[in-house]
Amino acid sequence: MSPNAIMSSDREQVLRLRSIVMAFGRLFAVNGVDLDVAKGEHLAILGPNGAGKTTLFNVISGDLTPTRGTVMIKGVDCTSLPSRRRPRFGMARTYQKARSFPGLSVEDNLYLAVVGKRGRHLSLWRSGTDRSWREQARAAAETVWLTEELATPVSDLSHGQKRQLEIGMAVATDPDILLLDEPASGLSRGEREWLIELLSDLGADITLLLIEHDMDVALRVVDRVMVMADGQQIAAGTPSEIEHDPVVLQTYLGTGASA
Amino acid sequence: MTRQLRSPTTIAFVAVVALLVVLPAIGSSFFVNFIMTRTLILGLAAATIVFLSAYGGMVSLAQLMLFGTAGFMFGNAVLEASPRGLNLGWAPWTAVVFALAVATAIAFLLGALSSRTTGIYFLMLTLVYAVIGYNVFAQVVPISGPSGITRITPPPPITQATHLYYAALLLSIGGYVVLKLVARTPFGLALQGVRDDPVRMASLGFRVPLHRALAFTLAGFIAGVAGLLNVWWNGQIDPASIGISPTLVLLIVAVIGGISHLEGAWLGAFVYVAANSYLRALPFVDRIGITEDRFNTVIGALVLLIMVLSPEGLSGVIQRLSNEGRRRFSRFSSRDGTGRVDTSGDDAGESPVVMIDSSTSPPTEERK
Amino acid sequence: MKQAKTSGRRLVASSLFALALIVAACADDDADAPPGLDDSEDAVDDVDDADDADDDVDVADDGDDEVRLGILGQCEGPFGGFHEDTVAGVALALVNHAGATVPSDDTALDGWEGAEVNGTPIELVGVGCGDDTPDRILAEVRQLVEQNDANVVIGPLSGDEGIAVAEYALQNPDVTFLSGIAGSQEPTLEVQAPNFFRFHGEGAIWNAGLGDILHNQEGWETAAVIADDYSFGHTSTAGFVAEFCGVGGEVTSRVFPPLGTTDYSSYIAQLPDPDEVDGYFWAVGGTGTQAALEAFVDAKGDLTGDQHAGNLFFNPDLAQALGPDIAGAYVGGFASPPGDVQMPAIDEYLASADETWDSLPTGIAGGERADASAAASFGFMYGYYSAGVALVDGLAETGGDPSPEPLQSALGGLSVELPYGDIALDDNRSGIVDVFISRLTVDDESGEVVQETVALIPEVDQTFGGTFGADTPAPSRDFPPCEERDLPWVGNAIPVEDGVPQQ
Repeated sequence: MSPNAIMSSDREQVLRLRSIVMAFGRLFAVNGVDLDVAKGEHLAILGPNGAGKTTLFNVISGDLTPTRGTVMIKGVDCTSLPSRRRPRFGMARTYQKARSFPGLSVEDNLYLAVVGKRGRHLSLWRSGTDRSWREQARAAAETVWLTEELATPVSDLSHGQKRQLEIGMAVATDPDILLLDEPASGLSRGEREWLIELLSDLGADITLLLIEHDMDVALRVVDRVMVMADGQQIAAGTPSEIEHDPVVLQTYLGTGASA
Repeated sequence: MTRQLRSPTTIAFVAVVALLVVLPAIGSSFFVNFIMTRTLILGLAAATIVFLSAYGGMVSLAQLMLFGTAGFMFGNAVLEASPRGLNLGWAPWTAVVFALAVATAIAFLLGALSSRTTGIYFLMLTLVYAVIGYNVFAQVVPISGPSGITRITPPPPITQATHLYYAALLLSIGGYVVLKLVARTPFGLALQGVRDDPVRMASLGFRVPLHRALAFTLAGFIAGVAGLLNVWWNGQIDPASIGISPTLVLLIVAVIGGISHLEGAWLGAFVYVAANSYLRALPFVDRIGITEDRFNTVIGALVLLIMVLSPEGLSGVIQRLSNEGRRRFSRFSSRDGTGRVDTSGDDAGESPVVMIDSSTSPPTEERK
Repeated sequence: MKQAKTSGRRLVASSLFALALIVAACADDDADAPPGLDDSEDAVDDVDDADDADDDVDVADDGDDEVRLGILGQCEGPFGGFHEDTVAGVALALVNHAGATVPSDDTALDGWEGAEVNGTPIELVGVGCGDDTPDRILAEVRQLVEQNDANVVIGPLSGDEGIAVAEYALQNPDVTFLSGIAGSQEPTLEVQAPNFFRFHGEGAIWNAGLGDILHNQEGWETAAVIADDYSFGHTSTAGFVAEFCGVGGEVTSRVFPPLGTTDYSSYIAQLPDPDEVDGYFWAVGGTGTQAALEAFVDAKGDLTGDQHAGNLFFNPDLAQALGPDIAGAYVGGFASPPGDVQMPAIDEYLASADETWDSLPTGIAGGERADASAAASFGFMYGYYSAGVALVDGLAETGGDPSPEPLQSALGGLSVELPYGDIALDDNRSGIVDVFISRLTVDDESGEVVQETVALIPEVDQTFGGTFGADTPAPSRDFPPCEERDLPWVGNAIPVEDGVPQQ
């Protein structure tokens, strides 16, 4: 079954972008992108630096409100919905540069991710529900192999562990739309293997959007690829199609194949 | 749980509290009713600065204004036939509730107003609050005098100077424990998340400005409690009490103690009050130029010295000494000699926070 | 591991703190239990009486065979330059009347030695360092009384401080307080602490006589007032308004710029023009006096001295900036009169100051050194001097007994002989004083503007014939209202010519 077939099939559309434009002054970081992602689909967004990948992510996650265009999540227009409302749609994301809370322990970081989605943000009591959320946080730690580091302050983690935590925080909320921004950057070879394993193991219901420089990682875990340059889509297709696309080879892989 | 109860921290805490409880029996009345009572009051107020700074990443200059507001409100509400103030003549405890309600409501409003600013902008905004607060009380004479509100006495059960000391002690312990516990609640953890990365917190689903506003409100409430103790202790309050100079004194107290350690607030207050009272009474200090009129210079030099020794104030100094001792100890006790003792204490921004958090984490058994 | 490390750290922190506490607490232990706060404890707590009895006897027997004197000065804030003046005033009184000598001839802060009245020594136990705020002076007075065990306190210097200290006096009846030079009405008129004595005048009293002279002699029918918007400005205004309106004048406008204003133009604009009013009364202090007058010249045209009067802040130095046009302005009084007043007692007093110190750093010279007599001739040092003399006289009356009851009852009945006029107390223990009214004039010989005393208003008391009392509001922007009233001293002004009262 080809990706295009998936796209046009009757599977539920979880994300629909229409003519997204994101301008910073006179710079058009994203310039007219359309994108449909179906439930359970794993999509990689590739492109050289400055192609507008992260900006597109920020538009999807609500960190930025697009200058033009619409963002539909699960059929609801979320174009100007603030980022804090989006976890309720089952959306979770990571950042290119790990953005966890260095002053808190690993467990508390994961726990905050759970609380963020579930509510009781202002609670001054630790209740039974709370304990079950702690369980959930610890389960997420196990998923990303951080059980040993539960009590460690994040500021003491290694770079790789911070990336693990970053993904753990996204996973902890039990999301069905997962946006990962360069999860493999700065990881060792062994850690990359671990990452690939983790991403491959994601449930079939989870929709994954991935920005990745590491072609090896990207192409092994996704079933569709979109290539961006200068804020626009220049190619789309299955990993194998993309690997042989002359335009892509010209603009991206030709210069960054070793990345 | 039992292990936590017997931990050195708890023992030390209980020992200090026990000492403070029996202090009136062993200390002179000036020491108890002036030095220590004032220390506890100033410490409680400074603890709200430390709380906002350590857990919320917000350095507030408005705490003394809220402290003073509660004092003014209590004076206006409780007095009956005083030549100053509104003379509402309410029952003392009604006045207490009223004063705290006003201080808390103002804190909420101001907190909401400044909830989208951080760093230097937040500092400046709270400085503006402090200045506006001063000017309101200086200009709107009916609620502040004329010439301040005098003859304020504590509510009924507090009839003696030592009662007031115990009230200050009780409320200081209460404030300390509450602020410590809050840090472990979902709200408190979220607040620390907001401190570390507000954008991330928003994308996790939190309402960042609300957390900031509510933290400011809680700090305002506790500052109000300290403000009530202050007017009971001082008997009067006037606009100059919340002027820019005492506002800075409160910040200095927090900085002396170490702006990232809650207990440092009381330590800083003690050093400030004791230095103010005892340093110039030392023999021969006037021979080296430390006369009364140069006293602020001495306090300034003291602050400078502490800051140079440790950007984290006195608690930072103590922490270093303790680390040093521990390192020497670990050399003898073979195992764990390579612990990360050196890393903490060097980074003013993060590690002190780490210390606070780890100490109040649930005991390890619970985690496994 | 982290947990253990943290705990250890805290253990050390807590232990250090505990140690500091014990050291500080014990270091303080030898001080006698302070009077005042603990008395209330005894009264409430009968059970403790037996235990406390020993202490109480100690205080009564050992404590009160000497005067442990505390002085409240100001070493910071707007009057910080007068810190030496305050101690010098008290020291000079003890040098002149209690046989004291001073250890240093270039500073007063070293106190004195050998002060004694009827065998009772007077020791200096501390000098409080105020900054012109009530909170600070309260902390200082508590330290003097509760830590240094002072049984007599002289001070404070300024008005708001006076209220706070009088309130403190009310709660500490066993300590005797003599005001330094606090110029607000409230400490005596309103607080009425039976142990707070003020052997000097206050802001309203010092402007007595101006209204009478300006209305009845200079023919002012209407006047406008501009004053600092705080208690001393209000009180000064109150004294002027009470009398000017009392004798039939009308105050048509009152303008109150906030303290610390630098640009007075908007306030000057609120004043009527010179052709709409007969004259102006100024109670703007500090650097504001000159700034406000300059703004007046800019906005209203030339200055005509005859059309102006000011409280004690008007002085000949204004002519340096404003020119000789300021001559003709009347000036209210202060604790001491201008330098042209000549009397043998005054010469003797000033000479004694120069004999005691070669020079002193004094506020009158902006904190620089000046002759001690220059400091002594100004109201700040003189107010503290008056308090010191009153204390000596009071002690002489009790035969040297400094215990509260006899001393306080003796002080209340005193009429103290002082170089600038004798001072007795009213029922609220506030001074009934003579006020010297002066005028800025051009000296015939030098052509410079000088201050010339023109009248002496005898025996002014702070009630202004019932205008002010315990039940009336404190002087404010609109109190007292402008109404006719009888003032006891109107018509009794004694003219002063060439520095000599004509009586």
